Amino acid sequence: MSRPGFVLDVDERTPPLLMHQGEGFRLERLPLGAKVIYPPDSLPGIRNVDAAIKHALLNPHGTDPLPELLTPGMRLTIVFDDLSLPLPPMQTPDVRQRIIEQVLEMAAAKGVDDVELIAGNALHRRMTPAELRRTVGDRVFQAFFPEHLKNHDAEDHDNLLHMGKTKHGEDVEINRRAAESDLIVYVNITLTAMSGGAKSVSVGLASYKSLKHHHNVHTLRHSNSFNDPPNSAMHHSYERMKGLIDEHVKVFTIETTLNNETFPSSMGFLNKREWEWNLRDQASYVAVKRANELLPAKTRRRIWQSTAAPYGVTGVHAGLQSEVHPITLGNVHRQQLTEVNGQSDVAIYGLPYICPYNVNSVMNPILVMSLGLGYFFNLYKNKPIVRQGGVAIFYHPVPNEFHPVHHPSYIDFFEEILTESTDPVLLETKYEEQFATDPWYIQLYRNSYAYHGVHPFYMWYWGAHALEHLGDVIFVGGNRKTTARMGFRSATTLADALEMAKDTVGSSPSITYQHNPPLTLADVR
Amino acid sequence: MPTIGESQRMTPDRHEFHRLGSSHVLLTGATGFLGQATLEKLLSSHPETRVSVLIRPRPNQPAQRRFDGLLRKPVFRRLREQLGEEELRRIAAERVTVIEGDLGEVTLPGDIDVVVHGASTVSFDPPIDEAFRTNVSGVVTLYEALQRAGADPHVVHVSTAYVAGVRKGVVPEDRLDHTVDWRTELEGALATRADVERDSRRPEVLRKSVSRAQGEHRKAGPQSVVAAAEEARQAWVTDRLVDYGRARAQSLGWPDVYTFTKALGERAAEEMWGERRLSIVRPAIVESSLRHPHPGWIDGYKMADPLIIAYGRGILPEFPGLPDSVVDIIPVDHVVNATLAVAAAPPERGTPAYFHVGSGSRNPLSFRGLYENVRDYFRKHPMPAGERGHIRVPQWRFPGSRQVEMMLSGSERATAVAERALLRLPASGKTREWMTAVHRQQTNLDFLRRYADLYQAYTQAEVIYDDSRTHALHRTIPPELVDEFGFDPSVIDWGHYLQEVHSPSVTELMRGFSRGRGGSRRTAAPALPERTDIAAVFDLEGTIVASNLIESYLWARLSSLPRSQWSGELADLARSLPRYLRAERRDRGDFVRAFLRRYEGADMAGLRDLVDDTLGDALLQRVMPEAVRRIRAHRAAGHKTILITGTVDVFVRPLAGLFDEVVASRMHTRDGVLTGYLDSPPLVDEARAAWLRRHAADTGIDLDGSYAYADSYSDRPLLEAVGNPGAVNPDPSLYRHAKRKHWRIYEWGAHTRGRGDVLLDTITGTVSAR
Repeated sequence: MSRPGFVLDVDERTPPLLMHQGEGFRLERLPLGAKVIYPPDSLPGIRNVDAAIKHALLNPHGTDPLPELLTPGMRLTIVFDDLSLPLPPMQTPDVRQRIIEQVLEMAAAKGVDDVELIAGNALHRRMTPAELRRTVGDRVFQAFFPEHLKNHDAEDHDNLLHMGKTKHGEDVEINRRAAESDLIVYVNITLTAMSGGAKSVSVGLASYKSLKHHHNVHTLRHSNSFNDPPNSAMHHSYERMKGLIDEHVKVFTIETTLNNETFPSSMGFLNKREWEWNLRDQASYVAVKRANELLPAKTRRRIWQSTAAPYGVTGVHAGLQSEVHPITLGNVHRQQLTEVNGQSDVAIYGLPYICPYNVNSVMNPILVMSLGLGYFFNLYKNKPIVRQGGVAIFYHPVPNEFHPVHHPSYIDFFEEILTESTDPVLLETKYEEQFATDPWYIQLYRNSYAYHGVHPFYMWYWGAHALEHLGDVIFVGGNRKTTARMGFRSATTLADALEMAKDTVGSSPSITYQHNPPLTLADVR
Repeated sequence: MPTIGESQRMTPDRHEFHRLGSSHVLLTGATGFLGQATLEKLLSSHPETRVSVLIRPRPNQPAQRRFDGLLRKPVFRRLREQLGEEELRRIAAERVTVIEGDLGEVTLPGDIDVVVHGASTVSFDPPIDEAFRTNVSGVVTLYEALQRAGADPHVVHVSTAYVAGVRKGVVPEDRLDHTVDWRTELEGALATRADVERDSRRPEVLRKSVSRAQGEHRKAGPQSVVAAAEEARQAWVTDRLVDYGRARAQSLGWPDVYTFTKALGERAAEEMWGERRLSIVRPAIVESSLRHPHPGWIDGYKMADPLIIAYGRGILPEFPGLPDSVVDIIPVDHVVNATLAVAAAPPERGTPAYFHVGSGSRNPLSFRGLYENVRDYFRKHPMPAGERGHIRVPQWRFPGSRQVEMMLSGSERATAVAERALLRLPASGKTREWMTAVHRQQTNLDFLRRYADLYQAYTQAEVIYDDSRTHALHRTIPPELVDEFGFDPSVIDWGHYLQEVHSPSVTELMRGFSRGRGGSRRTAAPALPERTDIAAVFDLEGTIVASNLIESYLWARLSSLPRSQWSGELADLARSLPRYLRAERRDRGDFVRAFLRRYEGADMAGLRDLVDDTLGDALLQRVMPEAVRRIRAHRAAGHKTILITGTVDVFVRPLAGLFDEVVASRMHTRDGVLTGYLDSPPLVDEARAAWLRRHAADTGIDLDGSYAYADSYSDRPLLEAVGNPGAVNPDPSLYRHAKRKHWRIYEWGAHTRGRGDVLLDTITGTVSAR
């Protein structure tokens, strides 16, 4: 059993604490009395993952073992989580590869010929052949690509199936091949509590028509938080859609969870509590930080983007989604959940170089917003770590950088839409439709490697709950122009940021730093 | 008080003050600086005088309209305020007769008592024939017209003090002392143009201008070359004629053709009217009013003003001039008063009278004094410099004209060399920054050169114009009328005049201009109009994508070759590169043709697949997002979007969706294999403009409302074909052209990925595994 998570009170003996700041990191001395939330220590990984997979496939929850679901002549579709999971990407072999290989072996043994593999990328950019290869492994790639290993295409209307509407009137439209299969095997990685479960098929294989029912401002404002499914309007919608899908097609879910081994051993200090750093950790901190600062920007990005995590797998569970997912969530909580007493006036987050949408790409300002006010702010159960009207302080340089191929609609969103307004409701009503149906963006999404035209809007909605909750948002080290464009402020140092926060929370606010790395889910009481 | 008129043909008494009374005055050059002031004075201070003004009509502007416009000018501001708009117009209609036409053809009234002949060329270095036509022929036609009309007025001929030419010491108020025959000179001057025109058509001259035009404009196509060559020929003719004028003037002892022709004009006047009543008034450097109609009144920039402003803008580091030479400046109201006083006091028949109107003899202002006053003025009231505070004016040391000349010609050479070097550099933000600096430097130097040459005679003059006759006339004015009619230059306090009156007046316009520009130098692009009958035309390489033919070739070639053969391919390309560059410099079409030969033997279907799989993505990585946004904005506004490129059509497939019309080169294939030849000539330089005009005519597109975007000088014809041209990341030549023509210049490509990154990703398959 590893050490549970805990909340540190900063006192005179507390060393400066580590935080991410984009493609870099720093040690920051926090004001006395500040609280710091640490997750439990990284759990030990399963030693024999292949055996665990086999065990899960043969002993599923709530359904027959996988081999018994496979029959000759059937249509089998294997869907797997796309590039957005896990973060950073895991060292090869990817756990998805291991699972898919075993599933394919079982299918082959049962004489199943009609097998398709589909990446559940929804409106995300297509995975490149190289990225697909890395995820499913050489053997599978060579055998199935390109005819039977594909990205989901949410704009290929001939290959979408409208299954009907939920009782709330939500359209359910997903990939036709999957919908018309005899069995969908969904291969998942649940990195945070928001992933997996009902979300897998209903989101990963859906179209804009279907997604807009839960990816909207109203739903996100009522998802408190989206990492706490019972209290998430978004997940309620997923569940309703999942119910409808289950009436049409059988889904065999395989969910996996990972531990907190986010960085390779050369950067082991990133996974450790600061006062426990030994001489080697301190030396490597200085060396890595210095080297990182000296590198040319391009090389620095290349190195960060090629970092792969030596995750350990903490659980593999298969079967009916409704029975599997609670176990999966339990595993996530075991690794990430830390109980916190009460909210504070100020929350501090160090934002890393990566989010689900900039793998092998560029973290643009919109993504920074969604990472900070969306993903990190929502890493809570019950209540946010910061009180209503409080201040969030993020560490990130927010550079004015965009990937021209991956994020074309983001560039236009930033230059033309955010200059009009930053109000999510206004943007949603006035501009969403236009971006979502723009033929040029659709062409780029389908044929190039672009995120769908509507995606920047979703990123903005992702932060809608935080925008409503917070009194002020300050980026330490943030580019003045980009932060201002998004309606935020930037400060040079934490002291300046706290000075700026004074107007909102007074001169001696209570402060909580949600420590990252690694990921922590705060259970605020 | 005695007045003169038709009825009183009295002998003038030099010791009595006369007024014009009810005389009928004919004014020529009424729309000019001196003319306006004279007309105003006649209307405001000579209530009984009748005035006729001779005004040449302009296209769409009859003389009467020009005259009405005159009444709305600042010179009449005071009178308008005193009398009211209506009353002024009524008085003008009652007292002023507008005679429309040229001196040569009009019929003048027979009852004219006085002519004030103020019409003259305002330029110092016009072509020789133009100078003679205005300043000599103009005089002749005036007297011929007067003779035709049977009038016998007293003519006040306005000349200039500088007709005395280059000399030292005191110049008396007398007939000029020279023996130049004005008729011979006039004849010669008028014939010069034909000679020069003939000269300009000599094959050696033509070849030279064509070859120079080719060097600069070949990229833009043959028509641009010949247009530039013809323009150069015409400019050469003008330059020659200016040079003829200056050389002839200087060979006879005048500093420039202006003073030379004015001197001959005096001679003509003496010959044609000397037997009657003729007065010649010679003002020095006429500048803004001291008092009337209001202090500081001036119409446009006069002789000293460009220098004052240039100095205030900090671009005159030095100026050739002797610090102790006299700058003979005289306020315009003094000149007007003197002229009208002369007009009222005709000399005896057969003895023309001469008057110098200047400050040099009675109240001399040294060049150093002028400089110091202007410097002090700008120190107290510096010119604004946009966002960068205010301009600091330089301190002159008067190093002498030789030194200044050396500095000037040195800088000119350096700038010319810098520009030639820059024009050969590839397009980049840095090049454009340098180009801007050179452009500014060049403008300043051109300015300095022009004025240094022109004004040498005036700023190095060691001459005093005696004005005792003029002063004697002034002394006849009764003390109570001196304020209104006086012209004694000794009342001028130079410090007050230069710092409080003149400098504020001439810098006012510039200050307003700077204020208007203030703050943001980059004005936002105006919104696109919603119309369906206009087009937005885009060039591809350098405008929409940052890549070029060679780059896309490398993507295609290296990603389909085994790595072991890369070095061979790259070496071969490197060897051929000089050849391609030469072709590119010569003619864009030659380059396209030469380069596309490399595709010989490639499989068309394979190439198409490669584009769809790999190269299309590489192209999109090199796209400039601002360009795409612009294209889409045009589309959203209903405009027809057109892509015109010399690139092969297969390569533009990923972008085709943005355009209503794609015009690209097509490669010739035999059995699905590329032959390395094009199906038709590549659409470059003028061919693009020609295609666009034709297309516009066929489809009813309004080119004047249309837009075009391109990056290379070879696209100049295309850009000129539309009403809204835009230079995108322009190459140095196009940048220079766009600056001169005030075209909109765009800097695009903020988020475009680097050339090396994309090439590496493409050929190593990071983007898509192969």
